Amino acid sequence: MAHLFDIFIKSIFIDNMVFAYFLGMCSFLAVSKTVKTSVGLGVAVIFVMTITVPVDYLLENYLLKAGALSWLGPQFADLNLDFLSFIIFIAVIASMVQLVEMIIEKYSPTLYTSLGIFLPLIAVNCAILGGSLFMQERDYQTVWEATSFGLGSGIGWFLAIVGMAAIREKIRYSNVPKPLKGLGITFIVTGLMGIAFMSFMGIKL
Amino acid sequence: MKALRKYVDKIKPHFEKGGKFEAFHSTFEAFETFLFVPDKVTTSGSHIRDPLDMKRTMIVVVVALVPAMLFGMWNIGYQHFLALGEQVSLGQAFWFGFLKMLPIIVVSYGVGLGLEFLFAQLRGHEVNEGFLVTGFLIPLIVPVDIPLWMLALAVAFAVIIGKEVFGGTGMNIFNPALTARAFLFFAYPAWMSGDQVWVAGLKHGLQAVDGFSGATPLAEAAAGKIDQLPSVWHMFLGTIPGSIGETSVLAILIGAFILIYTGIGSWKIMLSAFTGGLVMGLILNLFAANPYMEIPAWEQLFMGGFAFGMVFMATDPVTSSQTETGKWIYGFLVGIMAILIRVLNPAYPEGVMLAILLMNVFAPLIDHYVVEANIKRRLKRAKVSVQ
Repeated sequence: MAHLFDIFIKSIFIDNMVFAYFLGMCSFLAVSKTVKTSVGLGVAVIFVMTITVPVDYLLENYLLKAGALSWLGPQFADLNLDFLSFIIFIAVIASMVQLVEMIIEKYSPTLYTSLGIFLPLIAVNCAILGGSLFMQERDYQTVWEATSFGLGSGIGWFLAIVGMAAIREKIRYSNVPKPLKGLGITFIVTGLMGIAFMSFMGIKL
Repeated sequence: MKALRKYVDKIKPHFEKGGKFEAFHSTFEAFETFLFVPDKVTTSGSHIRDPLDMKRTMIVVVVALVPAMLFGMWNIGYQHFLALGEQVSLGQAFWFGFLKMLPIIVVSYGVGLGLEFLFAQLRGHEVNEGFLVTGFLIPLIVPVDIPLWMLALAVAFAVIIGKEVFGGTGMNIFNPALTARAFLFFAYPAWMSGDQVWVAGLKHGLQAVDGFSGATPLAEAAAGKIDQLPSVWHMFLGTIPGSIGETSVLAILIGAFILIYTGIGSWKIMLSAFTGGLVMGLILNLFAANPYMEIPAWEQLFMGGFAFGMVFMATDPVTSSQTETGKWIYGFLVGIMAILIRVLNPAYPEGVMLAILLMNVFAPLIDHYVVEANIKRRLKRAKVSVQ
């Protein structure tokens, strides 16, 4: 149990998707204009990651990995479908995103319109695919580890985008030099936030 | 004084719109308001202008920093001669420290104010006074032997990237002084950490006498040498190695008193920050997994830059939370994070700098939700009255 909690905390703060790996930047930069929409997108990302990472974990271990198919019979034991992992992971993510899209469209049309193109684009949000690939690379032992990793990474991304949105709301009326208005200053803020998040780097759990 | 006022009034028209030196208006105004309280009065309506403008506010902070600076100067000399094993008088130690510190202050102010004036001229806004404090804070939070060109680079980084790109004083998200320190810390770690940098001369090959380590108490604690920690009394007085201004809790408390008495610094942030540090210390005491965690919680508050950071940096009115409820939350979290990073993160001996920067990131978010909660509460009340 403590071990799961460690993975959870680690993926939120220490291995933060945005500030440690700079993944998922496109939607992070584009949708962080107001806190409200970014909370919506952040929750969507948490949801998608919490589902896709364990599902991909199961696929990885019972379908894709070298020898994963041995449960079908001894003749499949040396089969390695690893080369399919990208396409299968993406397919899982895309179908999850489809589902989220339908739910949001049904229950919160305003959020749906304000997220616009970035909602379907979660499917190619590198943080989410990155989550599944990190799961593969780090060799988590149980599906629960994968779940807590997915949930933690989602929450880490959520924290980053919501914090960014609050800062952008605050500096909206600042007298930012013209060439830096908009994305320029956002990049600078991201870098400075990255420095602040370095406070966690090096903690061993 | 009167003659000066007359002279300023006499040359003033040259700097107004249409005058000879119109281009230097912001520079002129900066000096005028530095010398005199602005005499602007409202012409219509019932607005009241408080003569306590930003310059006066900033000067109070600088005054509050003076005890820490004076002590820091003496401590530079004291530590240096302690390392040499020589007995010197108070005046000699102070003079040595003064000579060491003067170039640091000059560089900090020179580079920072130079850039500040440059930006004010280029962008046509007033010269912001915020740098008076930043320029004074930076020398107090660096090791004494920091090479001056590094310092100049860090100050430039802090003023340009930390502040001017956001539109100058009052707009920045991160405390500029801490941005400068973080820049130094990550760009030149060899000059910002270790046992050699905190005492003048050690880095340049000065041979210390036996038994003098030069390590800060935090470094000793992180290395597990809990029994070699200086006594709390020494840490309270500040006769320990460390960044120039951070060592003496006593001098910092005098500053804190000035800030609270004049109402410039938020006592809420200070109080909640110290509470947060204490709470985190107690939690760690509870676990007590290693000797570092067993250090009494209250002792943690005297170590390293905790007091300095909480009194002078966390209370920065620009980068901390603006709402009153937010200040409690913000301060508490800063305190918790500072102790947490310090004890649990082996990569950094001190966590105060990063804790404050981290909470600077989330201060706008705290404010946002405090305001939202307030709106919701009031809406609820409005509905009741409608019925």
